[in-house]
Amino acid sequence: MLRKEVNELLTQTDPGTAMGEMFRQYWQPALLARELPEDDCPPVRVKLLGERLIAFRDSKGRYGLMDEFCAHRGVSLWFGRNEEGGLRCPYHGWKYDYTGQCIEVPSEPEESGFCEKIKLKGYPLIKVGDVLWTHMGDADNRPPKPEWEFAKVPAEQTFTSKRWQESNWLQAMEGGIDSSHVSFLHSGSLKTDPLFRGAKGNQYNQNDKKPVFEVVESDGGLSIGARRMAEDDHYYWRITPWVMPSFTMVPPRGDHPMHGHFWVPIDDENCWAWSFDYHPTRALSGEERQAMEDGYGVHNQYEAPGSFRPKQNKDNDYLIDREAQKRGETYSGVWGIAMQDASLQESMGPIVDRTKENLVSTDNGIIMARHRLRKAVIALRDKGVEPPGRVTAHQQVRSAARVLPPDQPFKDAMKDDLKVQPGVKQTSV
Amino acid sequence: MPHDSDDMFEADNATREGRGPVDHPTMLGGCARAATRAEAAFRVQYPNSRMRTSRIFALDAKAAEAMYAITEDPWNNAHFLTLSTKGPTSPETQAADLPLSHPDGTRADLLAEIEGADVVVLLAAASDSEGAAEVIARECFERNITCAGLALARGQKAAEVDRVVNSMRRFARVLVVASDDDYIPAMLTAMRA
Ligand code: FES
Ligand SMILES: [Fe+2]
Repeated sequence: MLRKEVNELLTQTDPGTAMGEMFRQYWQPALLARELPEDDCPPVRVKLLGERLIAFRDSKGRYGLMDEFCAHRGVSLWFGRNEEGGLRCPYHGWKYDYTGQCIEVPSEPEESGFCEKIKLKGYPLIKVGDVLWTHMGDADNRPPKPEWEFAKVPAEQTFTSKRWQESNWLQAMEGGIDSSHVSFLHSGSLKTDPLFRGAKGNQYNQNDKKPVFEVVESDGGLSIGARRMAEDDHYYWRITPWVMPSFTMVPPRGDHPMHGHFWVPIDDENCWAWSFDYHPTRALSGEERQAMEDGYGVHNQYEAPGSFRPKQNKDNDYLIDREAQKRGETYSGVWGIAMQDASLQESMGPIVDRTKENLVSTDNGIIMARHRLRKAVIALRDKGVEPPGRVTAHQQVRSAARVLPPDQPFKDAMKDDLKVQPGVKQTSV
Repeated sequence: MPHDSDDMFEADNATREGRGPVDHPTMLGGCARAATRAEAAFRVQYPNSRMRTSRIFALDAKAAEAMYAITEDPWNNAHFLTLSTKGPTSPETQAADLPLSHPDGTRADLLAEIEGADVVVLLAAASDSEGAAEVIARECFERNITCAGLALARGQKAAEVDRVVNSMRRFARVLVVASDDDYIPAMLTAMRA
């Protein structure tokens, strides 16, 4: 259960809200780099943290992210002509550079300098890995550039997708740290999904549906350990890292690539579910990459080319297949790990009413994440305290899975496994 | 590796042939679209749970101090108990002999306290309470009561926190290390204590 005021505090991210201010402390994934594939390509509309923005790549390859609407009479610059070093509104020809500065007002004498008085709000947009990142906060308080491992390994080792989720960001993120649902919701897919199946650890997941949890605070957020029985009285540990505000990783399986997410608010009732897969030490195989593109693992299929709305969505009841459910192929009847999660999280309603929840002790990962978020948001709002997760060191995390003897706490035995170690393979079972 | 996702979806679509937006149930609540904001407002407003019985045990003086800060808050059916001995308790101690007290100093009986409990929370800030934790956990285990352990790390060295955690590890279904004491009320509120 969460009190109504706290639920509102954590779920509202529009400009001027406390949680919105918190998100504006960080570099956030804004677009896939492939959405702006070349200089002077068509501009892209994107909504983030309750702000409607337009992204473009100018003739010199500079990325811009700014207010979507022309300062003249409010036309969407999605209709703009991206040419000769700027985006030109097609209505009366006003033109903006990649920072949002107006550089031409054709109706006014050039000598008047009128255009200098016009500037759209603009945010930086930088490419790190396959992702274009933005920082929507104070320019004087810009954090170091993102250094997440999935974005820093060579291109052939990594794959990123994004999906529109029709729910608030927090219930989506909480799914990412809710390790106890795996043995239920994803039990069918563990056996069949090409990016999950075949790992030894999967059997431990299947055989022990009552994991024991250990929740430990980390510098940037949390490490959530789930312990299941392995053979010879050993324990199978799966560790999920969470870094504030919304980065989560899934513990790996066998030599499959590791995966994780960012959960970024679009507005209070929608979010971007960013999903990445990478292998720290080897290129993804052709089959793996194809499987990711085909919507396996943490990825999904799309409604139409160029759309980020999933093919399975609330308008078609997520193509639920009760027969496949009866046959044991899926636990919920919904195909695909990503959409198994998304369908249930969207079913909670756009912003779940947490005053009606009945949490139990095994939900402590979620309880602690909310607690830490709440404290960080309030400390930032009331005292200007910098929240965790902004600095590079906090981002150098990995998920891990390992079998340990019973007397070894994961926190010590897996200390190195939970850190990025360049050139070293992930620890996995 | 086969890439059968398209086939899979085609099969899906075939079994649901003709099912497009026009075929949808006409009432919003009859399909997944019920998850709109407007429809979410129709969630029934009756309670969906009865009162829980929670028993919180502070296993040492420091934990008791942190716990006393919140015992006066309005709780549902939570009892807060402290161990009234100093120093370690033998794990061989009989349940009836475990010296427990209520916040007002009156004596409490372990078995009477955990009778019918939904959850037991062990609070510890020192590592000499393993024996007491074992006595409580043993009785909980026999009665299928979930035990959660909360290690309080405020102002403690990492090695001491590790010892506290280790002292509860064998008994707890979930073990949390909290850097601030205010996690105690946060956790208990979340669990409707
Ligand atoms: S069983 Fe967890 S939401 Fe229903
Ligand atoms: Fe999931």
